[in-house]
Amino acid sequence: MSDRLIEVEDLTIAYPMADGEVFRAIDNFSMSVNRGQIVGVVGESGAGKSTIGKATLGLLDENAVIDTGGVSLDKVMVTQLEEHAFTDIRGNKIGYIYQNPMTALNPVLTIGEQMIEAIEANTDKRGAAARAYAIHLLEQAEVPQAEDRLSKYPHQLSGGLCQRIVFAIAISAKPDLIIADEPTTALDVTVQKAVLDTLVKLTRQENIAIILITHDMGVVAEMCDYVYVLRHGKLVEEGPTAQVLKHPTQPYSRELMAAIPRIDQKVERFAVPGGLGQAEDRQRAIQYLMSRKAEAGEAGAPLLSVRNLSKTFTTKATALKAASAFKAVSDVSFDVMPGETLGIVGESGSGKSTVGRMILGLHTPDPGYEIRYRGRDVNELTSRAEKLAHRQSLQCIFQDPYSSLNPRMTAGDNITYALRAHGTIDRGEARQLAGDLMELVGLPRASARKMPHAFSGGERQRIGIARALSFRPDFIFCDEPTSALDVTVQAELLNLMKDLQDQLGLTLLFVSHDLAVVRQMCDRVMVMKSGEVVEAGACDKVLVAPDHPYTQGLLDAMPRFRPEDAA
Amino acid sequence: MPADATTTDVDSALKAEAQEPSFAQKFWKVFRGHPAALAGLIGIIVFVLLAIFAPVIAPQDPYDQTQLDILDGLLPPGSQLWDGTPSVLGTDALGRDILSAVLYGLRISLFVALVAVIVGSAIGVFMGLLAAMKGGWVETVIMRTVDLKMSFPGILLALMVLAVFGTGIDKVIIALIIGAWASEARLVRAVALSELKKEYIDAARLAGLSDWRIMGRFLFPNSISPVLVVLPMSISGAIGAEATLSFLGVGVPITEPSLGLLIANGNDYILSGKWWISLFPGLVLVGLVLCINVVADRLRDHANPYLRGKD
Repeated sequence: MSDRLIEVEDLTIAYPMADGEVFRAIDNFSMSVNRGQIVGVVGESGAGKSTIGKATLGLLDENAVIDTGGVSLDKVMVTQLEEHAFTDIRGNKIGYIYQNPMTALNPVLTIGEQMIEAIEANTDKRGAAARAYAIHLLEQAEVPQAEDRLSKYPHQLSGGLCQRIVFAIAISAKPDLIIADEPTTALDVTVQKAVLDTLVKLTRQENIAIILITHDMGVVAEMCDYVYVLRHGKLVEEGPTAQVLKHPTQPYSRELMAAIPRIDQKVERFAVPGGLGQAEDRQRAIQYLMSRKAEAGEAGAPLLSVRNLSKTFTTKATALKAASAFKAVSDVSFDVMPGETLGIVGESGSGKSTVGRMILGLHTPDPGYEIRYRGRDVNELTSRAEKLAHRQSLQCIFQDPYSSLNPRMTAGDNITYALRAHGTIDRGEARQLAGDLMELVGLPRASARKMPHAFSGGERQRIGIARALSFRPDFIFCDEPTSALDVTVQAELLNLMKDLQDQLGLTLLFVSHDLAVVRQMCDRVMVMKSGEVVEAGACDKVLVAPDHPYTQGLLDAMPRFRPEDAA
Repeated sequence: MPADATTTDVDSALKAEAQEPSFAQKFWKVFRGHPAALAGLIGIIVFVLLAIFAPVIAPQDPYDQTQLDILDGLLPPGSQLWDGTPSVLGTDALGRDILSAVLYGLRISLFVALVAVIVGSAIGVFMGLLAAMKGGWVETVIMRTVDLKMSFPGILLALMVLAVFGTGIDKVIIALIIGAWASEARLVRAVALSELKKEYIDAARLAGLSDWRIMGRFLFPNSISPVLVVLPMSISGAIGAEATLSFLGVGVPITEPSLGLLIANGNDYILSGKWWISLFPGLVLVGLVLCINVVADRLRDHANPYLRGKD
């Protein structure tokens, strides 16, 4: 372990801010990478992971200042180099793999043009030799029909294939190091596994070192030899992967490990600190929420019963394109019992969100369906009041906390505006209710006066939950509610949702692409593929011993986070 | 790279609120370090003040025919009227003091343009929101009308309107409104369509809110920013359009002259050496439009996220 490639020493990178303060993106950070080693840099958003990669390549923003320390590559201090000196390093000595392969490739050039350009720039191969080498690289990166792909444009290929092509370009000059910045975050889980395997195979062959920047502990556990845990630009903990995962010594890394949902075991609550609000306010909010007129249905009858639900999206014919129809959901039927959580898992495009949106009435299903809610066919609701009551009784927690709140209303108005507009409550009651609900979801009531932009993603998601609760719903559709959040924030939020469900007896339909999250949250689960349900049943059965090969494939592809096996 | 705070803390939350910059601070930030835009802003303020206080500043009331004397006609700048009033910028053929006429003309020009643009934009914003919200035939009708309007040269359309309705300040305003709303409608519709796809609109629908409420409290405030940015540009455009119409003789009446009409008024005398009659109203018109455009440019650059931070 003496063949040292990269040495980061006491690196501090600061950004001057508008108010004269200095923001330290990286604070006194040291790390080293040996030839052929795969090193993970883990942390949540804002931890400064990407900044390290950028500093190594001289790609820092103009206003960034390197306060102390530096990065040396092969004993050359790269952080002191002039811009022109980096042309030899970028591509040649260090390859870079971006998070989103679709934007990393140039959309107006063919794959072949881009690959040959990179090869000619960084190697001495020219013309036909460069082309042959490009095909060889694509074959190495396990791109099927490599020769045909050269004449294709990026948009004609899938995200997984594009990322393989980016890998091929990155290794074309046989660099010493590849910096992979969240290389699989934009990909589906089944693709992620195969793509990562390819990356490891390629780099092992050429003895290329990797710095893998990621937020995903599962990926680190599978790939990395050594790991650095970052928080707020500071090093929290470092060590061989197995050791850090198994015996984290620092409180933050312990919290981080505890927050990771695991597919192989269900926990009652994640062991993360949860913010509880004022007991009195919480109690008042719960009282309000429980005071809804629950029409007691027949015992043992489902709250929601869905039959033959289908949805076809059609596009009209235009001058350039014929009309097309895409069947997003076909013939889905299921029941949801009061108080239970039904999960829907599937990859992107499997139609799982569309099912929820049809139940909420945001999409109209294809004819021939039946949705019964509390035993009544929803199409038989006639009076305005009935329709409004039905609509408000089914609520949604949305996926993207940055677009799910009205940015021009305070948090409090976001929660209570509709109730006031309907005349259900007056101004004073609205303020009281908004404050109580804020406390219920773990936010200080005073912050109800703030605008949405003043809140973090996790806090906005809490406001979204408070808004959904304000209507005293029986049923909440959770549309990937934590997929945009950091893992510790996700754990806090999932804990909160479980608490609320226990206290209020809510019925949840929980859609997620993350099987481990579904395992933690749901009683039963449906697995969807291309608009159809391939398997359904109790979580403990379907996610442990699935019958259908597709479910088995999803489970196999998941990066396993299992510290006890890590050694 | 702001840290995604995972903990909430009342003190820091309240502190952040206290640090939220006021409107004046934000406004100042737009112009700080941009001397041209700042000069334009000061210019606009001066012009507006001159227009508001025209009756106080002007040595003569150019609308009052009894104050005019034909004997004062065509005096060069720096002369004295027969009643002893100094005429700094000279007089026109009717014996009207050019300085007074320009001050009153500025008033008319600004008034006409402001009313036309504000009313026109309001109609345009409403139409754009309605088209985006309702879709279907409502959208088709509105947007095809916009296309139809946009296919006419603006001045030609205004001339046609004035030919039908006759002339007068109110008619000019109507003609300019008809010219102003369409581009705003198109702009707002485009922004509103992208806002409509966001999840907070779905949340509003789940709350059972009506289309009108969603339009008013959700769509409108989130779609309006680009219109506010182009508003100054529209105003300077309307000032120019009004001047053109008046110059062509179909705009405001000669008894209440705007800047455009004053320029036209001196047109016959330019070649006979009486340059001051057209020149001074022309300078004021150019100065006003220039000031507004410089400020408008700055506002547009500031609103452009790609340029922000580079200034």
